Amino acid sequence: MSYFLQKEPPRREQRLNACIASGGTLSDMTNRKMRCCVPDGERTFTQNNICLLLPALGMMNSIPNSVVLMHGAVGCGSSSHGGNVGVRAGNNHRWGVIKDGTWLSTALNESDVICGGEEKLEAAIREIDEHYKPMIIFVVAGCVPGIIGDDVDGVAQRIQSEVSANILPVHCEGFKTKIWATAYDAVYHAIGRVMLQDTSENLALEKPKKATVNLMNVSSMGRVDEVELERLLHALGLEVNIFPVFSKPEKMYAMTHANLSISTCPTHDDYLLKHLQEKYGIPFVLKHMPIGIGNTSEWLRNVAAFFHLEDQVEKIIAEEEAELETALQEFKAFFKGKKVFVSAGEFRALATAILLAELGFEVVAVRSFHHDEFADSEYEKLSKITATDFPLNIANCQPFEEANLIRRVKPDLFLGHMNGNSTAAKLGIATNVIYNVGLQFVGYQGAYQLARRLYRQLTNPGFNQNISKWAQLPYSEDWYQQDPFAHIKQSEGEV
Amino acid sequence: MKHFIERPRFTCALGGAIATVTALPRAVHILHAPPGCAGNTAWTQMGGCGLQVGGYCGGISIPGTNVQEREVVFGGSDRLQEQIQNTLKVMDADLYVVLTSCVTEIIGDDVDSVIAPFQNDETKIISAETGGFKGNSYLGYEIVLESILRNYVTRGETTVKGRVNLWGIAPSFDVFWRGNLEGLRQLLSRLGLEVNTFFTVDDHLDGIRQASSAQINIVVSDVFGWQAAKISQEVHGIPYVVSPLPIGPSASDLFLRRVGEALGLSAELIEEVITTENQRYYKLLEPLTDCYNDMDLQRYAAVVGDSNYATAITAFLENDFGWLPQVIVITDTLMEEQQERIVNRLSSLKSGRIPKIIFKGDSTDIAKSIKEHWEGSQTQYGKYVNALSPAFVVGSSLDRPLAQELGAAHLSISFPVSNRAVIDRGYTGYQGGLRLIEDLISAIIVNR
Repeated sequence: MSYFLQKEPPRREQRLNACIASGGTLSDMTNRKMRCCVPDGERTFTQNNICLLLPALGMMNSIPNSVVLMHGAVGCGSSSHGGNVGVRAGNNHRWGVIKDGTWLSTALNESDVICGGEEKLEAAIREIDEHYKPMIIFVVAGCVPGIIGDDVDGVAQRIQSEVSANILPVHCEGFKTKIWATAYDAVYHAIGRVMLQDTSENLALEKPKKATVNLMNVSSMGRVDEVELERLLHALGLEVNIFPVFSKPEKMYAMTHANLSISTCPTHDDYLLKHLQEKYGIPFVLKHMPIGIGNTSEWLRNVAAFFHLEDQVEKIIAEEEAELETALQEFKAFFKGKKVFVSAGEFRALATAILLAELGFEVVAVRSFHHDEFADSEYEKLSKITATDFPLNIANCQPFEEANLIRRVKPDLFLGHMNGNSTAAKLGIATNVIYNVGLQFVGYQGAYQLARRLYRQLTNPGFNQNISKWAQLPYSEDWYQQDPFAHIKQSEGEV
Repeated sequence: MKHFIERPRFTCALGGAIATVTALPRAVHILHAPPGCAGNTAWTQMGGCGLQVGGYCGGISIPGTNVQEREVVFGGSDRLQEQIQNTLKVMDADLYVVLTSCVTEIIGDDVDSVIAPFQNDETKIISAETGGFKGNSYLGYEIVLESILRNYVTRGETTVKGRVNLWGIAPSFDVFWRGNLEGLRQLLSRLGLEVNTFFTVDDHLDGIRQASSAQINIVVSDVFGWQAAKISQEVHGIPYVVSPLPIGPSASDLFLRRVGEALGLSAELIEEVITTENQRYYKLLEPLTDCYNDMDLQRYAAVVGDSNYATAITAFLENDFGWLPQVIVITDTLMEEQQERIVNRLSSLKSGRIPKIIFKGDSTDIAKSIKEHWEGSQTQYGKYVNALSPAFVVGSSLDRPLAQELGAAHLSISFPVSNRAVIDRGYTGYQGGLRLIEDLISAIIVNR
């Protein structure tokens, strides 16, 4: 049975055997692949991080003419104050209008916990429908309704016919999964179930006249990155339909008209792309991430191959690579041999590490937020280009392991996810943020812009160096003497 | 009554507690929570707290049990026990604070019995019940203070004359908390007092542990810190005195007199300090006189903020700065008696004018009410319009669209403050009034 017929999508631990706890080396991972991780494995000491709600909000808050109603305690979703920075910029970059997102909360209190929150939720949905008149109300279930047993889907179903907005229940109970990439499935699930129905309005949507592709962006790329990929796809003569961030609700169904769906990160998109193929017969490309020189070219080749544009794409790639190579010359001698440590979502970390190797850096350690089968090919690529072995850590952040590793491998440069650079920074390492949608990362232009940033940061890492002389990380001296992976539980019988 | 809050201008009790523990010197939290609560707080700080995220141990460095369905079904005490044991090995702290969450409170884990075996002379570990459904971030601040006062501060300390504790300013959710606390410490030190502010970089755990030696507790809020003061009175027998957040000379004069009176200090000393401080303030302000007058920098104002800021800024604008506050919106959730206190406070401005007072937390409604008031307050005779203009909106960064619609200048002070970088800037005391003037005027002349 299609997952989309169920109320909520499965956890990625279950659907993909994804895992979050492994410590070893690149060669372990390349050779043993999924066997490296114990399914659902854990640590005896952990640090708290984000849950799936945060990336889910990144997608939902971007949708025009929608509101996000958190069904939970008043704090769930307050990260939107941070996410709103991206919503404002995203609206501005796309339409020249600075506009805040609209997020709301049922603010469940003690008496709701005891008596149940369904009535409150129902009343809130009605009020919001009338007050804001949105096209979509995302109704997000947090931990509290998940435990007290509020049936969010039941409420949505019961009152849908009485409200104008489309109600999209989204399951973001943080205690149900450790893999926050489940967020993408959760939002895609809701959009797929409600917004991609064959309604008369949807069926009346005009079909594209030219070959069109769905370009998937779950909010890990800013508009600058979209522009770069559009440039490359347009060069192949393809029309581009970007989905789902900042996509207008009334146009969402248009993605069922595309000739092909293209993922920009296999970690993000498999759930929806498989659904689009099963239900609407739209084939997809779920391979490579257009970050880095070789990977961008491979990504483009795959798309071109589908449309039988092999000759055309080789010409584009040759020109692009030659021009970029010339432009990068002024940085490469400076980068040569400098040690770099990368930490981010799995696919992004690996693609970025490969790019850094292309730029002449020596990759000395990589950390990925989780591990699943999609990234196997990337470990092979990384192994091939670096031709050395180094520590490889699967960790949903866990900066204590990172601090320990950094002290051992002593990198010159660290690239971490947003909110994940301060450990390296306080150790005096130059850093650059991976995943800040205001900055350019993707495609050939992204490779160049990253190189420019790294050149700048390595030229004067004074801010971090000065901080490191006076700031202390919160770890005991004893911890630094331990094996960085000492707290990862080992499975019985594994070698 | 509505059944939702739009873009709440605070986070939950746990978020407030996380920020409060982060602000304690050499303290580390242990969250008994699902994954996500610390990261949610970090992103909230990133977006709303003047670019200040975490501290010694904050953000995603905070240890936690990351409870999952297994713990929900079977209980999370074993996991907590394991986590505490290893936290003591990995983390370097002098105080550990276990904070509970919605999930672990609903499943009913008995945290105190888990932490009891770990407590000894070497290891200081306390806990606080901070489930997010209990209330907002200000409550989280209050609950952590309560736990410190009950479980960490020693009992039976001898009272030290001139020593005071200062509460009512919640770390992070008063975005200018560091500067505000420091400003008040500086001010009170002019009276010869030793001020324990708990959360600044100059505070230390030894001082906090001896908080029971204070002569009085000072609460600079009509709402926050009251619970702590009551508990300290109950547990340590220390009386307390309440004042609104003192911003600028008029409020600082009153504040010094009130504290002086409570401590039985000589009125002469107090008045001498007040005179010196006013002289200094106005000497510094004097060179602005030409431009203030020539550039016509007086404004009608709408003030939007939590109960601390809304009242304190209004009083400053009206009493000290000669502006005309028209509408005041108080954005935090208050009980009836708290609302009454705020109304009384705002009804006793020097001029006798009473601005329109609104209790609302939803940005869309706030903007609507203020616009209605603005439109309802203007008279028009043919082409002659007596509008509330020129105008200024002092609020949060969420009030920028309103300011734009009113054609008003804008300054973010109350949470969320997404468009300013804040380190140790503060608005309290005489000095703070000058800082506020700098910021208000700078916002008006930004394109000059």
